[in-house]
Amino acid sequence: MQDSAHILQSQVNDAVTEQRALAICGGGSKQFYGRQVSHDRLDTRIHTGITEYAPTELVLTARAGTPLAEIEATLLQKDQMLGCEPPLFGEYATFGGMLAAGLSGPSRPYRAAVQDTVLGCTILNGNGEILRFGGKVMKNVAGYDVSRLMVGSLGCLGVILEATVKVVPRSPAELTVAFTIGRDKAGALVNDMRRRGLPVTADCHDGDRLLVRFSAGDKEVARLPVQLDRHYSFVDWHRYEDDAFWSQLKNHELPFFTEGRDIWRLSVPAAADISSLIGNAHDVLTEWGGCLHWLKTEASAESVFTVMDACNGHASLFRQEVRGASDQVFQPLPDWHMTWHRRLKTAFDPAGILNPGRMYAGL
Amino acid sequence: MAEAGIRTRLLQSLKTILAPQYILATEEQLKPFECDGLSVYRELPMLAVLPCNTGEVCSILALCHELGVPVVTRGAGTGLSAGAKPHPQGLLLVLTRLNRILGIDPDAMTARVQPGVRNLAISEAASVHGLFYAPDPSSQIACSIGGNIAENAGGVHCLKYGLTVHNVLQLHGFNARGEPVTVGSGGLDSAGFNLQPLIIGSEGMLMVVTEITVKLLPLPQEVEVMLAAFDSVDAAGQAVSDIIAAGVIPGGLEMMDNNAICAAEDYAHAGYPRDAAAILLIEIDGSPANVQEQLQATREVLKHSGATSLKVAGSPEERALYWKGRKSAFPAVGRISPDYYCMDGTIPRSALAGVLNYIDSLSREYGFAVANVFHAGDGNLHPLILFDANIEGQLEAVEEMGGRILEKCIEVGGTITGEHGVGLEKIRQMPLQFTDAEIAQFHRVKEALDPDNLLNPGKNIPLLKHCQEYRALAADIEPNRLLPRLGQGQ
Ligand SMILES: Cc1cc2nc3c(=O)[nH]c(=O)nc-3n(C[C@H](O)[C@H](O)[C@H](O)COP(=O)(O)OP(=O)(O)OC[C@H]3O[C@@H](n4cnc5c(N)ncnc54)[C@H](O)[C@@H]3O)c2cc1C
Repeated sequence: MQDSAHILQSQVNDAVTEQRALAICGGGSKQFYGRQVSHDRLDTRIHTGITEYAPTELVLTARAGTPLAEIEATLLQKDQMLGCEPPLFGEYATFGGMLAAGLSGPSRPYRAAVQDTVLGCTILNGNGEILRFGGKVMKNVAGYDVSRLMVGSLGCLGVILEATVKVVPRSPAELTVAFTIGRDKAGALVNDMRRRGLPVTADCHDGDRLLVRFSAGDKEVARLPVQLDRHYSFVDWHRYEDDAFWSQLKNHELPFFTEGRDIWRLSVPAAADISSLIGNAHDVLTEWGGCLHWLKTEASAESVFTVMDACNGHASLFRQEVRGASDQVFQPLPDWHMTWHRRLKTAFDPAGILNPGRMYAGL
Repeated sequence: MAEAGIRTRLLQSLKTILAPQYILATEEQLKPFECDGLSVYRELPMLAVLPCNTGEVCSILALCHELGVPVVTRGAGTGLSAGAKPHPQGLLLVLTRLNRILGIDPDAMTARVQPGVRNLAISEAASVHGLFYAPDPSSQIACSIGGNIAENAGGVHCLKYGLTVHNVLQLHGFNARGEPVTVGSGGLDSAGFNLQPLIIGSEGMLMVVTEITVKLLPLPQEVEVMLAAFDSVDAAGQAVSDIIAAGVIPGGLEMMDNNAICAAEDYAHAGYPRDAAAILLIEIDGSPANVQEQLQATREVLKHSGATSLKVAGSPEERALYWKGRKSAFPAVGRISPDYYCMDGTIPRSALAGVLNYIDSLSREYGFAVANVFHAGDGNLHPLILFDANIEGQLEAVEEMGGRILEKCIEVGGTITGEHGVGLEKIRQMPLQFTDAEIAQFHRVKEALDPDNLLNPGKNIPLLKHCQEYRALAADIEPNRLLPRLGQGQ
C-alpha cells in the first residue's frame, strides 16, 4: 500500500518540460496489446493499495498499480467479484491496466463491461494535473462522464491513478453445459435461454460445440438439468466438468490461443456475416452470444477492416505473432472521428506525451 | 451582424428547409417552449423549429453554424434542471416529431429509435417480443429517449439493470456543424476512445442525437413487489443497506416518507399505510425459483431491520397499484403544495439515514415541509421541498436550502446530481464538487467537440470566473463547514 500520486505527477511534469513521451506501464501483462511504442516508462506499480472497500455498498476503490489478483482475492473473501470478469493475461496485471485496456471477459453481455463497473476515477492529465471525476456512488451525472471515457483509452488521455468500481455478489453455484450445436444456431439458443430466464453468464462456441455457463443460487442451479431437458431435448447436451475453462478462455490459455498464429478480435453485431474471413471452423472462437469472435486468419488487415466496416463492427489485431509489430492494429477511424480523437487528445494531453502512438499513429 | 439581422436571415433560410407551420416565431407560438419541467427558469428562444427527419436536422445545424446561432435541443421538455431552457439569441430545436421506432430486432434484443420516441413507447413496442427497455424514469409516459440520453436518465429499475449509459449500443447524430457523427457500434464495444459514455449525460452540449440503438432485455418471468412499513426513517434507511448487504439485488428499491406516502395515497389510492413514517417498495424479479429465494432472504432482512408490516402484492393489479403510487408521487405532491422543488443528490447508501435527518433539520430551520420519495437502492435522493413561489422570498430561500442539501451530499462522498443533470439549476454547486482544474478540463472537452460553443451554451459547466464566487457564497451560508476537497485551496 503506497500513495505515490505525487511521484507520478512529478514524473509527468518532468516529461512535459523535457518534451519526452512516456509509456505508461503497470504489470506489463498487456504489453503485447496495441501498437508497439518505445518511450520512457512511467511505472504505475509504485502507486498501490485498496483504499476503500465497503462490501455492503458494493463499492471498491483502489490505486492503479494494485495487482488485479489482490483485488479479486479481497472481493472473494466477501463473496463478491468484478462483474466484468477481466482477463489477467499473467499474474502481474494491475487495476489501472484493466481500466486503460478496457477489455471485458466472458460475462460481459450478461453482467457488465469494464466501463459499466466504473463509478469514478482520479487521473493525471498531460498537464500534470490530478483530477477527479465521477464518484463513489451508483449514479452521478455532474459534468461530463470522463471516468468512463478513460476506460479503453490505452493511457492516451491520462494516467489513471485511482478508480472506484461497482462490484457484484458472487453466485453461490455454477454449472457449465456443452451443447452439440453449430455456430450458426448457437446465438439463437443462448438468446432463447436468456428469454426463459435461465441464468446464463458466459458462452463460447469453439467450432464443434457451444459451452454455456450458468450462475445462480444453489436451488436454481440444481433445477437446471431438468429445465434443459424439458426445453432443449432437440440438442445433445452434457455437463462440462472442466471448471478451469472460463478462466483459460478469458486469459487466452486455451490451445486455440497458443499456437503462434496472429489472432484478431472482432466485435460485431450478433448476426454479422463474417464467413468470408473464416477458413477453417476451428480458427474461430465465438463469445458474447455471437458479438465477439477470436479469429485466426492470414487475410490482409485491409480485408478484415473492410468486412468489419460493412457489418458495423470493428476489429483489432490482438496478438501479432506472425506479422510482427504491425502498424495497423485497430480499426481505422473515419476522418471526422479521427478529428474528434485528436481534439480530445489535445484537450487532455496538449504536449502529446502520454502513450503517443499506442492506439493510433499521431494520437 | 446585428441580432435582428441574424434573426431575419435565419428565418428566411429556415423557410427553405421546413414547412412554415414547423417554424415558430411569434411570442404566442414560442411561449409553450419557454421552460422545461423546472419552470422557475424561463426564457423565450429567438426562434423554434420542429423538424421531422434527420435531413432537416442536419440542414438546420449547418445553417446555425454558418450564422453562429446557438442551438438548444429539446426533447419532451420534462427535464428538471433547466437543461432545455431556450437561449434568448438561439434556436430551439424541438425533436418531438422524430418519433418513429425504426425497428426492433428480437434476436439481437435491440431497438432502433428516433430521439422523440417516448421512453415508455419502447417497452410497449418491445413487449410483443417478450422484451423491455430497462431504464424507466418516473416521467416515462412523457419523456423522450433523446432526453434520456442527454441526461443519462435513471429510473426505478436501474439498481439491477443499470442507467441509460448501460443500455445503449449506438448513437447517430450530428455535431455542431451539422456533420454526421456516430458513436458506439453494432457490437458491444467500439474502436477508438469510448465516446458513447461521454455523449450520454452531456446535456445536449456535445452533439445532437437523432438515432439511438438501445439494448432490450427479456421480460422477467416472475415479479413480486413487497411493501414494507417502518416507524422511523432511520430504520427504513438502514433496511436498504441491509438488503444489499445480504446479497439481494432487487429490480427496484424505492423509499417514501410519510409526507410522500400521504400525498401519493390521496392521489393514487395505492394502499400505502398512512401511519407509517416510511415505506420501502421492493421489487424482486427473475426466474420463479430465484424470485422465491430472494423474496425469502429479503423477508428475513426486513424482520431484523424492524419493519412494522410487510405485504407482498397479491395480484398483478395490486403490484401495478403499488408502483402507480410511487410513479405519480411528484404530481401527487404537486397537488398538496402550490410549488415544489425537486433535488437529486446521490449518496452512499450507508449515509441515507444521516442525510435524511439532516434534511429534516433543514426543513424545520427554513419552515418548508419536505416530502422524500426516491431511488433508495441507488442512494439517489429526491427531497421535494414544498413552497409557494408567489410568496416573496420563498423561492430564494428554497434554493438556498436545496443548495445546502446538495453540499451535504458532497460532504458524505456523494454528488449533486444522480440523474436530473446540472443544467442551469445546479451550476452553482458544480464548483463545490469540482476543482477549477477539473472544471477547466470539462471546458476543454466541450471545446474539443464543439469549438464554436454553439450547442446548448452556458449549461452544465460553470464559467471559471464564477467558481470562486459560488464557493464563497456557499461558505457564507454555512461558514462552519469545510468542503472536504475544496477547503484546502485545491
Ligand atoms: C414527474 C417527473 C418525474 C421524473 N422522474 C425522473 C426519473 O425517475 N429519473 C430521471 O432520470 N429523470 C426523471 N425526470 C426528469 C426528466 O424526465 C428526464 O431528465 C428526461 O430524461 C428528460 O427527457 P426530455 O425528453 O423531457 O428532455 P428535455 O427536458 O427536453 O431535455 C433535457 C436535456 O436533453 C437535451 N436533449 C434532448 N433531446 C436531445 C437530443 N436528441 N440530442 C441531444 N440533446 C438532447 C436538452 O438539450 C436538455 O439539455 C422526471 C421528470 C418529471 C417531470
